[in-house]
Amino acid sequence: MEAVGRLRVGSWRGIRTLDRTLPVWIGASLFLIFLMLLPLGWILVASFRGEEGWSVGGYVQVFTEKAFLRAIWNTLIISFWVGVIAVVIGSLLGWLVTRTDLPLKRTIRALVMASFVTPPFLGAFAWTLLAGPNAGLLNKIYRSLTGSEEALFNIFSMEGLIFVMALYSFPYVFSMIANVCELISSDLEDAANILGASMWRVALTVTLPLAAPALLGGFILAFLHSLSLFGAPAILGLPASVHTITTQIWALFQYPPRLDLAAAFSVPLLLATMLLIALQKKILGRRGYSTVGGKGGERRLLHLGIFRIPAFVLVLALLSLSVFLPYWILLKAALAKAWAQPLTWDNFTLENFKFAFFQYGDTQAAILNTFKLGILTATVGTVVAALIAYITNRQLLWGARYLTFFALAPLVVPGIVLAVGLFLAYARPPFVLYGTIWILFIAYLTKEMPIGFSQAETTFKSIHPELEDASRILGANRLVVLRDVTAPLARAGLIATWCFIFIGVIRELSASILLFTPKSKVVSVVIFDLKEEGQIGVIAVLGILLLLVSFLVILAVQWAARGEILATRE
Amino acid sequence: MAIVSLKGLTKKFAETAAVKDLDLEIGDGEFVSLLGPSGCGKTTTLRLIAGFLQPEHGEIRVNQQVISSPSLLVPPERRNMSMIFQSYAVWPHMTVFQNVAYGLKFKKLSSNESEKKVERLLQLVHLETLRGRYPAELSGGQQQRVALARALVVEPQILLLDEPLSNLDANLREEMRFEIRRLHEEFRITTIYVTHDQAEAMVTSDRIAVMHQGRVIQVGAPEEIFERPRTSFVAEFIGRTNILRGRLDHSGKLVLGEGLVVQAAAQESYPREAEVSLCLRPHNISLVGSASEAQEWQQKGYNLFSGVIRRRTYFGDTFDYMVELPVDRLTLRVIAPSSRRYELGQKVFALAHPDHCVVMGQG
Repeated sequence: MEAVGRLRVGSWRGIRTLDRTLPVWIGASLFLIFLMLLPLGWILVASFRGEEGWSVGGYVQVFTEKAFLRAIWNTLIISFWVGVIAVVIGSLLGWLVTRTDLPLKRTIRALVMASFVTPPFLGAFAWTLLAGPNAGLLNKIYRSLTGSEEALFNIFSMEGLIFVMALYSFPYVFSMIANVCELISSDLEDAANILGASMWRVALTVTLPLAAPALLGGFILAFLHSLSLFGAPAILGLPASVHTITTQIWALFQYPPRLDLAAAFSVPLLLATMLLIALQKKILGRRGYSTVGGKGGERRLLHLGIFRIPAFVLVLALLSLSVFLPYWILLKAALAKAWAQPLTWDNFTLENFKFAFFQYGDTQAAILNTFKLGILTATVGTVVAALIAYITNRQLLWGARYLTFFALAPLVVPGIVLAVGLFLAYARPPFVLYGTIWILFIAYLTKEMPIGFSQAETTFKSIHPELEDASRILGANRLVVLRDVTAPLARAGLIATWCFIFIGVIRELSASILLFTPKSKVVSVVIFDLKEEGQIGVIAVLGILLLLVSFLVILAVQWAARGEILATRE
Repeated sequence: MAIVSLKGLTKKFAETAAVKDLDLEIGDGEFVSLLGPSGCGKTTTLRLIAGFLQPEHGEIRVNQQVISSPSLLVPPERRNMSMIFQSYAVWPHMTVFQNVAYGLKFKKLSSNESEKKVERLLQLVHLETLRGRYPAELSGGQQQRVALARALVVEPQILLLDEPLSNLDANLREEMRFEIRRLHEEFRITTIYVTHDQAEAMVTSDRIAVMHQGRVIQVGAPEEIFERPRTSFVAEFIGRTNILRGRLDHSGKLVLGEGLVVQAAAQESYPREAEVSLCLRPHNISLVGSASEAQEWQQKGYNLFSGVIRRRTYFGDTFDYMVELPVDRLTLRVIAPSSRRYELGQKVFALAHPDHCVVMGQG
């Protein structure tokens, strides 16, 4: 070949030899660290801040005053039972769907997914319509059947709260158990079978112990989930004067706000979350859990025999509690003039839709804000998460692996705690964002970072670094490589990242509830507000809107994933 | 013109040195293999040359210009090199044509011109009919050809290959060795080829640099490496061999043990009385059965070992014998034509020309 390529040596000296993309990586890293450190730092500072100077007064008050102790105790009791119930339901369903010949398994998975996507505050609201002591539909049916004056259920109670929160926490356990069950190969079970153990005995002595770490991990996950929930306890607990830590923090924000106490109250919640996550990691990280995995052997399905149909009915009954009944009552409330009456032609109306979308200024603005924030956060979040995941995955900077810690940090920060920190950080100079939707943007960006980061990280892991090296050596700098090679290959994964963030944002309540102002309301907050006004039809309309959009977005992810299969086939 | 020189190159990963104080000169248009077992630092060396890694010590120069040093790193995209990867790294979202044409994007060519170049390369690697396919629709060998064409179309100054054939099946691998050499004869691009397969290195290279534990321990033409290995590591890594420990006496003869003295080659480079090793390839040893015949050969200058056949394996055209020598229970492996046959327990005489008895350093 003619000697075309002459080395362009002259321009190689000094600063020019620096990687020109370096500022992008450093910028993204600093942004992330700033995003995470500022609110958490403020919580710590504020929690030690009394009316005059430094003090531990806040902590003393939080841990001595009866109301606060009561809230902590309630939270622990509720979370414990939510964890237990979620493990029972979640593992039963997870096992049935993966290891038995239960009918319509894909549909059941889809329904579990629907429970997962349903915002717990919406489920809680729907259950107030189903099992409120007076007008609750199930209670009315019970009264008309028995002629009794009593209510069968009172959802406004500790038990009611536990019940509803468990309904929306069990999918976490389900996905964990389903994953593990899919990894346990039939060989292991066969080994026990050959030794003479019966089918059920095998399930009890081999399958169950193998799944034990996942069960414990799932319990902790469900426990954590209910620990950080605000909407459901506020809707179901407060009317029964049951305070939890999150509702207590919210109450401390009401006039006159006690920021020092809110901050001091946030710290134990933060510590508890951190402790539990560390514990969960340790349990799941222990040997045995992963060695179950590998490609090892095929799985055969257990034949349920005469239990097949009863098991199916049981599963449907469980899912009707989390999906069918709530969805049906929401739909009914949205379409009826009087939601408690049967849905006849006389009772049918589209008024609620008209009112929510076109007449009521608050809902219009909130819908607009929610989707604006959803799109904005998902877009910025995907870019930042992708950059950070790229840096950690390709080790582009010194100490890159520590960035993982920052990106995942919000996992241990319950939404309402984050909101306390953000309020402290951004309601005063130099960053006055409170009162605008930008503080919500920051909150969502922070809160969704772990999900976005993990998703992006998985995506980049699947792209062989040599594919990028091949582009670089031919003349592309790092950014061009990102554009030409990495981004197209990561497309499906990044679309999924975008969608997960988007869904997370539009359903967010626990941080929004502290950070919204009349000028910056979002749908979840409006639902919460309208609850006070008794605008049930409008709430139902907004709820259905959230659910519909979420499902559409999930379909989009699946569509994108299908495209992926073609691209990565090798 | 591209002369590559590596000087005192050192690269550490987490405090263990992957490449240690490595020196190597590669001439213009030369094809040099870095040969060694896995973990010897050869791929690290290649990635240092490509600019994906920066050395802790030492420097890399191309035509006297420093392109890598602890304080300076010309990024890979400005090195005018091409690289072929172990995983092929053919982009799955681009067609064969787009893959090959990619590097020309950065060359400021008219689209007509670059299309011609791509077509020519596709022809050269016999892919012209597959230009519209996606990599997922190609076999491994075809993907490898795409990678070759993609690397060559930009007319690089230096071509780097990182175990490019290790993922291919045996037949295809053999074919591609010749293909790579053919393309080199055609383009004469300075080429550095990383492999752990000695046959690959032999077929393709002008010179081979054998690497061990982060260092180059011997550089030379394939025959030279094979016939004059400088250490027992090199001797054992390339081809089968007998290695016997011994000591040089005052006249430069090699003393292997009581009464076993060998006239050997390459002893000049070692001081008298040095502890050394002898490399003697099994196929360079002849066996004879009669003492008189053996003595005839010995008088012609051949080294003579007497011993007893302890093991015999039949390989069709050859026998593989193990001969036990009377001294220190030393053994010799001998590969001899199957036309002559010796029995287990039979006393034989092994003969080897001094040129084939190569003195090496111990270690």
